[in-house]
Amino acid sequence: MKRYAYINDDGPSQDLYRDNRISNTKYTVLNFLPKNLWEQFSRFMNQYFLLIACLQLWPLITPVNPASTWANEREVWVVENGIKKLIQAQDIRVGNIVWLRENDEVPCDLVLMGTSDAQGLCCVETSALDGETDLKTRVVPPVCMGMDPVLLQKIKGVIECPSPDRDIRRFDGNLRLFPPFIDNDVCPLTIKNTLLQSCYLRNTEWACGVAIYTGNETKLGMSRGVPEPKLTAVDAMIDKLTGAIFIFQVVVVMVLGVAGNVWKDTEARKQWYVKYPDEGPWYELLVIPLRFELLCSIMIPISIKVSLDLVKSLYAKFIDWDEKMIDRETVTPAHATNTAISEDLGQVEYILTDKTGTLTENKMIFRRCCISGVIYGNESGDALKDTELLSAIETGSPDVIRFLTIMAIGNTVIPVKSKNGAILYKAQSPDEDALVQAAAKLQMIFVDRSANILEIWFNGRTIHYKVLETLEFTSDRKRMSVVVKENDTEKIFLLTKGADEAILPCAYAGQQTRTFTEAVEQYSQLGLRTLCFAWRELMPDEYHEWSLVFKEANSTLVDREWRIAEACQRIEHDFEILGVSAIEDHLQDGVPETIETLRKAGINFWMLTGDKQNTAVQIALSCNFISPEPKGQLLMIDGKTEDEVCRSLERVLLTMRITTSEPKDVAFVIDGWALEIALKHYKKAFTDLAILSRTAICCRVTPSQKAQLVQILKSCDYRTLAIGDGGNDVRMIQQADIGVGISGREGLQAARAADYSIGKFRFLTRLILVHGRYSYNRTAFLSQYSFYKSLLLCFIQIFFSFVSGVSGTSLFNSVSLMAYNVFYTSIPVLVSVLDKDLSEETVMQHPQILFYCQAGRLLNPTTFAGWFGRSLFHAVVVFMISLNAYTYEKSEMEELSMVALSGCIWLQAFVVTMETNSFTILQHVAIWGNLVAFYALNFAFSAVPSSGMYTIMFRLCGQPSYWFTIFLTVAAGMGPIFALKYFRYTYRPSKLNVLQQAERMGGPILSLGTIESHPGTIEREVSPLSISQSKSRSPVYEPLLLDSPNTRRSFGAGGTFEFFQSQMRLSSLYSRNCKDN
Amino acid sequence: MSSTNNAPPSTAAASKRPKYSKFTQQELPACKPILTPRWVISAFMLISIIFVPIGVAALFASRDVIEIVDRYDSVCVPANETDKVKYIQTPGFKTCNRTLTVPKHMKPPIFVYYQLDNFYQNHRRYVKSRNDQQLRDSKEANSVSGCKPEDYNNNSAIVPCGLIAWSLFNDTYSFSRKNVPLNVSKKDISWKSDREHKFGKDVYPQNFQSGSLIGGAKLDSSIPLSEQEDLVVWMRTAALPTFRKLYGRIEVELQENDVIDVTLGNNYNTYSFNGKKKLVISTTSWLGGKNDFLGIAYLTVGGLCFFLAVMFTIIYLVKPRQLGDPSYLSWNRNPGWH
Repeated sequence: MKRYAYINDDGPSQDLYRDNRISNTKYTVLNFLPKNLWEQFSRFMNQYFLLIACLQLWPLITPVNPASTWANEREVWVVENGIKKLIQAQDIRVGNIVWLRENDEVPCDLVLMGTSDAQGLCCVETSALDGETDLKTRVVPPVCMGMDPVLLQKIKGVIECPSPDRDIRRFDGNLRLFPPFIDNDVCPLTIKNTLLQSCYLRNTEWACGVAIYTGNETKLGMSRGVPEPKLTAVDAMIDKLTGAIFIFQVVVVMVLGVAGNVWKDTEARKQWYVKYPDEGPWYELLVIPLRFELLCSIMIPISIKVSLDLVKSLYAKFIDWDEKMIDRETVTPAHATNTAISEDLGQVEYILTDKTGTLTENKMIFRRCCISGVIYGNESGDALKDTELLSAIETGSPDVIRFLTIMAIGNTVIPVKSKNGAILYKAQSPDEDALVQAAAKLQMIFVDRSANILEIWFNGRTIHYKVLETLEFTSDRKRMSVVVKENDTEKIFLLTKGADEAILPCAYAGQQTRTFTEAVEQYSQLGLRTLCFAWRELMPDEYHEWSLVFKEANSTLVDREWRIAEACQRIEHDFEILGVSAIEDHLQDGVPETIETLRKAGINFWMLTGDKQNTAVQIALSCNFISPEPKGQLLMIDGKTEDEVCRSLERVLLTMRITTSEPKDVAFVIDGWALEIALKHYKKAFTDLAILSRTAICCRVTPSQKAQLVQILKSCDYRTLAIGDGGNDVRMIQQADIGVGISGREGLQAARAADYSIGKFRFLTRLILVHGRYSYNRTAFLSQYSFYKSLLLCFIQIFFSFVSGVSGTSLFNSVSLMAYNVFYTSIPVLVSVLDKDLSEETVMQHPQILFYCQAGRLLNPTTFAGWFGRSLFHAVVVFMISLNAYTYEKSEMEELSMVALSGCIWLQAFVVTMETNSFTILQHVAIWGNLVAFYALNFAFSAVPSSGMYTIMFRLCGQPSYWFTIFLTVAAGMGPIFALKYFRYTYRPSKLNVLQQAERMGGPILSLGTIESHPGTIEREVSPLSISQSKSRSPVYEPLLLDSPNTRRSFGAGGTFEFFQSQMRLSSLYSRNCKDN
Repeated sequence: MSSTNNAPPSTAAASKRPKYSKFTQQELPACKPILTPRWVISAFMLISIIFVPIGVAALFASRDVIEIVDRYDSVCVPANETDKVKYIQTPGFKTCNRTLTVPKHMKPPIFVYYQLDNFYQNHRRYVKSRNDQQLRDSKEANSVSGCKPEDYNNNSAIVPCGLIAWSLFNDTYSFSRKNVPLNVSKKDISWKSDREHKFGKDVYPQNFQSGSLIGGAKLDSSIPLSEQEDLVVWMRTAALPTFRKLYGRIEVELQENDVIDVTLGNNYNTYSFNGKKKLVISTTSWLGGKNDFLGIAYLTVGGLCFFLAVMFTIIYLVKPRQLGDPSYLSWNRNPGWH
């Protein structure tokens, strides 16, 4: 549905669209209750608690979400009836003209109508929108250019805009002004003419614009969206166990209910002192089962949710606090945005990583170039120091100068003069930044861009260009061009740069492009990013003719992007290829080690990149992503047609199946095109392949394909972690179970969308192996322990019901029942967040131990059955001992209840002690302090005459038999468990136990180290490159690959990739297989 | 790999840095105990060394208690009476005589208990059928909530209300030795705290047992509840269906082979639910009454611990095993898990 925004029209049309009120992201007053309830009760545990709450008739209290009203009440200047007025931001209507001053926040989406700048330009900071901190320029539409501010207040017209969407990079609209203003035909509007909500006006005195989208319909409001709440595997498992316990509970309740009714009808009638009425109402039968339901409701502890939420936020805090995850360069600490999913970090099975900016630093440096067949920079590795190039510039070789010109002005970079006179470049892509910087060093200095006049200094001369058109970069066209007019000569040039496959085929007939192809090949084998440069002189006629087509394409509303691409196609041909530039992107510190460690931990890596295949493969090699031959094998999936892709997919699948039995590191490589076909037509085969393959490189993939790949792995029930740094990774990050963003140079978009943000890729090791692993272990213990303690009490109640006429009497009084979960048992277990089963160093040395978390070895039905059995055993122990020790004249209700309760509390303390691996002072305080607190609290209760427990605890503690009973309970309850644990620990040790023993004995850990380091040293000897590279920070991409220009062909034909030999790694290759055993 | 040095924070953007402490870095000094054989075996040995003597002591204490138990519920019904329930429900005081022989010298204090069997004082309907406020405070005579169905009679509140009070045990015992009455003290048989704080000194029975259906004993309405010690004892509900309640104390020594004649008033109906009634005369020890359980349990646990300690020692000696042997780590042997 199109919308029409009538400018300055106060008529009824205003009411067509909503006002600018921004409501809270998630809820409105109307939908809060149903929506929130729906969300809450989609978890089983909450459904259960609702049931109990209903039974207990507790009022369900829901917290009211405070709406974000602050934004609505801010005051802004708006033109109303031709007069400027100050109104609240929430009262802005579509069509209003909003005036902004410097540093104002844009209150809604506007189409720019006028600015203080004579050229109609204004600068905005969009960091709140896309996280990019550089300033962007916005321009007034041509028809409004130079309009008087007074006139602007009275302007009338109509803006045709598409219905609200979330695309912040695109706006296809049209503007038509009504007479008496300039009455022309439609004027196209693009995103360049808009000011989007939440941006800030910078470096511009004032600006005004027409509101087009307001309230929650703004681009920001639409794209804010509601990311799906993420549920960790652990949570899902806990839910499952809760469900199982609930079924158990229902069975127990039913059995006891029936037994209770039978007993009532047979025995209770004879027990005259109970005075059962002879005839009860029909629902009488339900009373006993419901009573048991209440009695057993503690079986599922409400406290588990509270405790879990508490510890989860602490896990997140530990991540935030971690000194070892602070990026020392930028002083960026790690941050956990999502506090609820730390356990999942410990269960990651697949990591999908972006390349640029994630594995690499995204610090682009211009290294080499090839200009009209001459290769510069090969000897020194730095073209800027290549004397040949410098002398070529001196002599003024026209090709070289043109090449430099494109480097300097074939972009959208904005030079900014700083106070001390130096020129800073504001570039949207680091590649362009690198090119402009390099050009400046090669005497071609881009000085100023004012409106569409560019100023360049070259060898002391000043050259002016006028930008006629900018044909922007899109990922489909893979190139960008500018049409410029040289002011001195009045000549019009088309300057283009782009990917080789987008440029080279467009060369004019007869130009030899072989040298360029070879250069591209060579550079990409070095892992350098290549760009081809081309140019053409346009005849004025040709330009004018074309510019009409281009303008028309620019003002279409339907398929504008496609129409523009088509229009561009019409001029981007018959290029003269000038050369190839090669830009280097450093690997980040520690990337190979990180990948190696995480691979050892059984995590599979997929690299998803928009880069060229060869570049991707080279980076993959240099960061241990794939192993060189013969250890590794690279399988290609390619093809341009369905058939080819299908054949190649099947071949790869076959090879993959055969080689799974060999200890070989097989990876497949697929490009975006083949992936598109594979995902569309051969999804099943591709999914099979995805399951088989531990490593994959997907190059030339689009953001949505990245997300699709995540989806495929998720659909196979793998825990995925996506890591990226740029806006193109956002979808993948949001799609994955865990999204990690690198707060890098491409802005904060990814980091904002992610669950965790870290400064450098290498912190991933610590995030997963330390934080993820500990979180999983701790939650596994905490949740199962919570069930254990509740079940323990519940079992005792059930046993007691058998000696109380199955009538549903509670052995424990209500105070104890309540305090049991809240005070007596929650504190000791909460300090288990400090427990460390293995030290961080041990885990780093033996990342394989992560397998226990990945496979969910510490929290699954089997381990849970152990805890269930333990609580049953302990309930029997406590019940039998207290019952038999307190018989006859001692069997007083209150006393027996306290004896049993103290028995439980003591057992708790010892269970926590036994399950704790490392005791800090806090643990001791919590465990033993809690025991003391239990007695203190009960002494306090016993001192209140009106309480049911009056004097009970004092009486008990004075009896030797009480203490004997308690010690007996502890010994009988813990003895067998302790013996079993010792036996298993010593004679059937798990790998975890072995490492614990090794670590704590002190000695053997050293021998472990030597065993481990032995192959490590070999690796260092055989392939020194991968290690030394990152440390020396020398140019990273030394040729790992022997010079073989026809590698690409051999890829396709043989499906193998010849690399020179390297040492095999010790990592377990087939952890996937082991997961089954 | 992440760097481990804790270099001083650079001045720039230092505020972004989290505060350093051992807690936030999860580096609190920790003690990591390890289950070495020596440690575990000594622990079990220690437990057995502690538990066995305690068990022996507890057993001796229990054995020292002299206890006379006499079940009289069926004996006290005339043999010609076929319907015991009807017999017990007929009004009138039903006496019964029993003779007990003292097996061993009994030193005072000698406690007299009555023991009921299959009597569910812990039944849910029963255990809550009382009102503590009413018992405590004379002004709360009309607080009868929770007392149903024994709350009102003839539209006036019953004090003490509820099923527990209503079903007060009403068998009586009187003892004589060689035709000399043995004095049974009924003072201080209830908890002092109950007399002082739970049952009011100015709360008098009211309207009690005046309904059509009479449960158990009647109360003298001129004596305040705090002095009706039988009631106070009865109102301490038992947790188990078999329980003893204190009836009184004999303050004189009983010699071995003394014959005690008991004249009991058999009034309480346990016949309708086949409950047993027993008269118990018992001394006490530092651990309480006669109960072998603690002693036997301590000996068992101590013995088992000793057994485990020995077993673990043998296993340790026969099959020593080095802890933390890296060769157990499968990834050190070959790739893949087994």
